[in-house]
Amino acid sequence: MSSDLIPLELQAISIAVLAVFLLWVLRLVRTQRLSLRDSLVWVVTTLFATMVALFPGILVRAAHLVGFQVASNAVFGAAILYLAVNVLVNTVAGSQNAARIRRLSQECAALRAELEATRASSSGAVGAAPGKAGPGPTP
Amino acid sequence: MRVLAIVPAFNEERSLPAVVAGLRRSARSVDVCVVDDGSTDGTAEVARSLGVTVLSIPVNLGIGGAVQAGYQWARDHGYDVAVQVDGDGQHDTSFLPALVEAVVSGHAGLVVGSRFVGPPASGAFRSTWTRRAGIRYLSWMLRLRCGARVTDPTSGFRAAGRPAIELFARSYPPDYPEPESIAVAARAGLTVAEVPVRMSARLHGESSISAWRSLYYLVKVSLALVVLPTRRPASEDLL
Repeated sequence: MSSDLIPLELQAISIAVLAVFLLWVLRLVRTQRLSLRDSLVWVVTTLFATMVALFPGILVRAAHLVGFQVASNAVFGAAILYLAVNVLVNTVAGSQNAARIRRLSQECAALRAELEATRASSSGAVGAAPGKAGPGPTP
Repeated sequence: MRVLAIVPAFNEERSLPAVVAGLRRSARSVDVCVVDDGSTDGTAEVARSLGVTVLSIPVNLGIGGAVQAGYQWARDHGYDVAVQVDGDGQHDTSFLPALVEAVVSGHAGLVVGSRFVGPPASGAFRSTWTRRAGIRYLSWMLRLRCGARVTDPTSGFRAAGRPAIELFARSYPPDYPEPESIAVAARAGLTVAEVPVRMSARLHGESSISAWRSLYYLVKVSLALVVLPTRRPASEDLL
């Protein structure tokens, strides 16, 4: 488990930070602030990062395989790409939500107008009914 | 023949009575539908007091979302023609019958009221030269990408026949929608035509388009016109 690639202290701190992060994500799910579906990507990524922290040799081999001379550059590159993809996915979700809000708002406005028209016509019908045409002349 | 005037309005309580009065003067048989786009002033109350249909959108969607709500109302209530007229009083409503006539005669599916066709009317508002340059560019883009020949693509004074009503109810750009909606119509195979209209400077308030926004407008609409022909049609479009 321990390796001479990174100092043991750094390895311990990394794993501790990742564990806290994972607990935070799970807490968000438990308190219904993050849906289980949306939490999956964070849980899987955190577990993957924990694996890398436990066995840094995987990362070094993968980095060399792709052609990175220094493994840390591969980490930065992968992290930036991952975050960029994440932001793009969130922007897509934002666009979809905006379209849904637009559609719902339009539907609300139409329903309200229909309701007002129905109310107006029913109160008009009641007003026009015999004997209900409002107060008569005072004697 | 049932005609609906769609009047999008955002904080236009001062201009609205004159706009509605103008519509009633110009075309008595036209129903009026004011779309209050989440106004913070008394736009909705003023509109109700005028005895017209009011669509009160609970949040501010922007002009595209508001106009689309009007087209959806027109579609769901069986209107044959829908005419868009801005709530700020810039559009001379006496030209409304000409717009409707161009649709009814089968001349076109979408008819845009243009400031730049026909002889220049006295006292008419034709915008600043920078805006006119932008308008010429957008005309060129529209012709290039969609084959639509329109001299005033930013005009929001327009009439749509039944097929265009159904198209726009389903798919309408949310912001700065005028040029892009012409592209949407042209791509759907509708004929787009123009009739001369007169516009005036705003009665009250300020235009929503400032210098920086003009730049955003040009970039956004250019991108839309480049991408639109390659877009896959969706059931409820994300424009």
